[in-house]
Amino acid sequence: MKFLLFTLLCALLVVFLNLIAPFWVVMIAIASVATLVRPSGWAGFLGGGLGMGLAWLGQALLITLSTTSTLPDKMGILMGLGSGLAVFGLTTALGFILGGFSGLTGVLFRNLIQKKPSDVYLG
Amino acid sequence: MKILSFLSVLLLTCALAIGGANSIGQLPPLAFLLDPNHGFWQNSYSEDQLAEEMLSLENLQAPVEVIYDEQLIPHLYAENELDLYRAQGYITAKHRLWQMEFQTRAAAGRLAELVGPIALELDRMTRRKGLAYGAELGIDYLMKEDPETLALVEAYAEGVNQYIGQLTDARLPIEYKILNYKPEDWSAYKSLLLLKYMSDMLVGDRDLEYSNLKKILGKAKLDRLYPEFPKENDPVIERERIWEFQSLYPPKPDSLTYPEESLQLEALTQPIEGTGSNNWAVSGIKTKNGHPILANDPHLSLNLPSLWYSMQLSTPEHTVKGATLPGALGVISGFNQDIAWGVTNATKDTRDWYKITFQDASRKAYKYGQEWKTTEFRIEEIKVKGQETYLDTVVYTHYGPVVYDKTFKSDRQDLNFALRWIVHQGNSNEQKTFIQLNKAKNHRGYTEALMNYAAPAQNFVFASKTGDIAMRIQGKFPLKWKEQGKFFMDGADPRMEWQGYIPFEHNPNTLNPERGFVSSANQHPVDSTYPYYTFDHSYEHYRNRRLNSKLASMEQITVDDMKALQYDSYNLQAAESLPILLHLLTGNASSSEDAQKYLSELKAWDYFADPNKKGQTLYSIWFAETVESIWRELMDQGSPVVRPNNYQTIALMRDNPEDEVFDIHMAAGIQTAHYHVQVGFDSLLVAMKKWEMDEGDYEWANYKKTTIQHLIPNFKAFSVPDVYTGGGPGILNATGNRHGASWRMVVELGPTVKAFGIYPGGQSGNPGSRFYDNFIPIWASGDYVNFDLKKKEDQSGILFKTILN
Repeated sequence: MKFLLFTLLCALLVVFLNLIAPFWVVMIAIASVATLVRPSGWAGFLGGGLGMGLAWLGQALLITLSTTSTLPDKMGILMGLGSGLAVFGLTTALGFILGGFSGLTGVLFRNLIQKKPSDVYLG
Repeated sequence: MKILSFLSVLLLTCALAIGGANSIGQLPPLAFLLDPNHGFWQNSYSEDQLAEEMLSLENLQAPVEVIYDEQLIPHLYAENELDLYRAQGYITAKHRLWQMEFQTRAAAGRLAELVGPIALELDRMTRRKGLAYGAELGIDYLMKEDPETLALVEAYAEGVNQYIGQLTDARLPIEYKILNYKPEDWSAYKSLLLLKYMSDMLVGDRDLEYSNLKKILGKAKLDRLYPEFPKENDPVIERERIWEFQSLYPPKPDSLTYPEESLQLEALTQPIEGTGSNNWAVSGIKTKNGHPILANDPHLSLNLPSLWYSMQLSTPEHTVKGATLPGALGVISGFNQDIAWGVTNATKDTRDWYKITFQDASRKAYKYGQEWKTTEFRIEEIKVKGQETYLDTVVYTHYGPVVYDKTFKSDRQDLNFALRWIVHQGNSNEQKTFIQLNKAKNHRGYTEALMNYAAPAQNFVFASKTGDIAMRIQGKFPLKWKEQGKFFMDGADPRMEWQGYIPFEHNPNTLNPERGFVSSANQHPVDSTYPYYTFDHSYEHYRNRRLNSKLASMEQITVDDMKALQYDSYNLQAAESLPILLHLLTGNASSSEDAQKYLSELKAWDYFADPNKKGQTLYSIWFAETVESIWRELMDQGSPVVRPNNYQTIALMRDNPEDEVFDIHMAAGIQTAHYHVQVGFDSLLVAMKKWEMDEGDYEWANYKKTTIQHLIPNFKAFSVPDVYTGGGPGILNATGNRHGASWRMVVELGPTVKAFGIYPGGQSGNPGSRFYDNFIPIWASGDYVNFDLKKKEDQSGILFKTILN
């Protein structure tokens, strides 16, 4: 559950915050959300990654479908990737890596500041 | 343990963020570039998808309405000129910001700032030529003499800057995103610099090559192979023109001595062959509707974003439409409700070189007559990406900058040459010319506007609703004695100075000539009766004769006839020389099957360079290889020289095939024209064998591969290669591989002005927009888009509207 919630939150961050702020602000926000939502380590990485990566892919697809521009193909050739498809792939992968590591950073930070509960009766 | 894993992941995340935001080596900042909200994806939108109904533009006295037609051509309706040019700056920047900024950076010698040491030599050359120096003088002149024009140029700059100020990351042109830099503020200075840059593109000189040729060939042979006027001169101003003024032609001083060295310099870049233009106007007596028709097609490098940007500019007093130069005010080639005008390059040697003799190594003084004149030093600070700033000291004499010296492009320590060029003169005001031309109502207004124009010299064609047609060769031309400036001169001899300037009234011009048309195609401006020295190496000999013979024979001319003439692909040079080549080859051709096939294709060819013609391909290779063979020995002398032009070479082959110029001294026996024609044909066979193996089809369009190239040649994906179109150098449709008709316009000046225009590009500078290259197929097939003047009330064919307020 937490994983899904976290993934969704990350995607929403990209959709709304990224609109007005550069990608690194979104990275900080994803890390912050990870400290609040507290997914597990892997869920933090995967959730942040999928959230940002898929949101970027979705946005890129939306723009390309609504404009029918040939720019992704041109950029593919220009960047030596060959095709527009590869540019979509690269955008998704980059979003995934940036979001994933941001999520993981947040989770690890939370683990760091979270004190070991010492007053719990284990009896 | 937890701290360690957190810190290492944090570090990695930060590294990713920083890495994504910065360019690494030649790579652009990837995360910025690929972020769909700010990066290149945002450049996928076409302008109509981003249409805004209202935009804020400060300091307007009244709102300006901008109506875009279906081709994204903006029509600006302002209440006064200040508002008009402010809005022109804003709207131009909105569609062409990167290009105008990039071109002025190139003109200022500031490319190394963007691309690193690879551009340092180019920047040094640009600065040593003194373009920026000329633009600075131009601004000083406007400040002192013409504050009105300066105010307009500044309003334009403010418009550009307001656009830059409002620019978001998402809307930033894609080239900035890829190259990772931001636009700088625009200024009045940059607009002037752009006009100086046009001079640099269009003006050349061959003083270096002619100096070497004189030494190699001797004066007599030089005059024979490089005559100043051709046998069949068909000049811009009709031969019948009688010059009624009192000439100031200065006598040639006796016993001049020229610098005698053989010059081992690296020649300045020259305008590329094929850079030229056509313009003409036919009088109402020759047209079907009885109204004058004017046509213009400037030939330049074919680039994207296109050099030209179409606009209509309106105030309550005037409405003008045509091609603008992004960065400059007004319309450069166009028409208004009353008149139309167009430009072609008026080549004439206005760039001269003087040998400078410095007093000592400090270069603080140089010899001039009996005295020593002091120099000035200008330190050029060239910023270089990834390196320390390069400081280049350029010595200025009263002639101009010492371009070649011990630090630059000279093999010898003791050679110093200063450049004298109209571009370094402050008192010119080209911007005013165009602002006034835009408003001119008749021939008088046109003539007055041109009085401010100095460089680059142009043939200004003119036609008016009242029925006048005219041509004026306008520029500031130095007054020279015969052959002055043809060779490098001695700067220590005051007699070598330019003798002043040809008075404006004496510049060649004609109004309503009897033949019923005026025309120019970069040929000789006048015939030899014009009482001033007229010389240039690069005059055209074919387009002009084809154009004039067609215009002379045509009657009942329509707009469509004029369109067809702009697209005319008749190769007059081939028509005159192919029979000679075939004749000289007789009996010597290889009997191979290929050779016979090519020969029969050549013999069947009708001399039209249409895209599907094979004969044009075969001829162009054969002729080029033959000429190469004829002049190889001359070109291989070790110092820079230039070949006689094709017209002279063909005349020699035709009239004196046994002439001694055809003999190769290094080879045994005696060679004649027959020999070179055969060598050329053998080379053709070799070239065609390779071509047919590698590429197959050798139809002309497939062979010449017309390419419209992005201003950054490496950005191949933003270029449009292999455009299927005919024409070539020396042909009215002068479209070659990288050069050609950069703008075509035909205007009929009836009660309602009818106009058509097209250029190989599109209104948008954004490679992601559907308006980036949508004109190219129309242009390639010789078609046009409608360019009629549009009234504000006219609601038809509107893409969208924006109010600037």
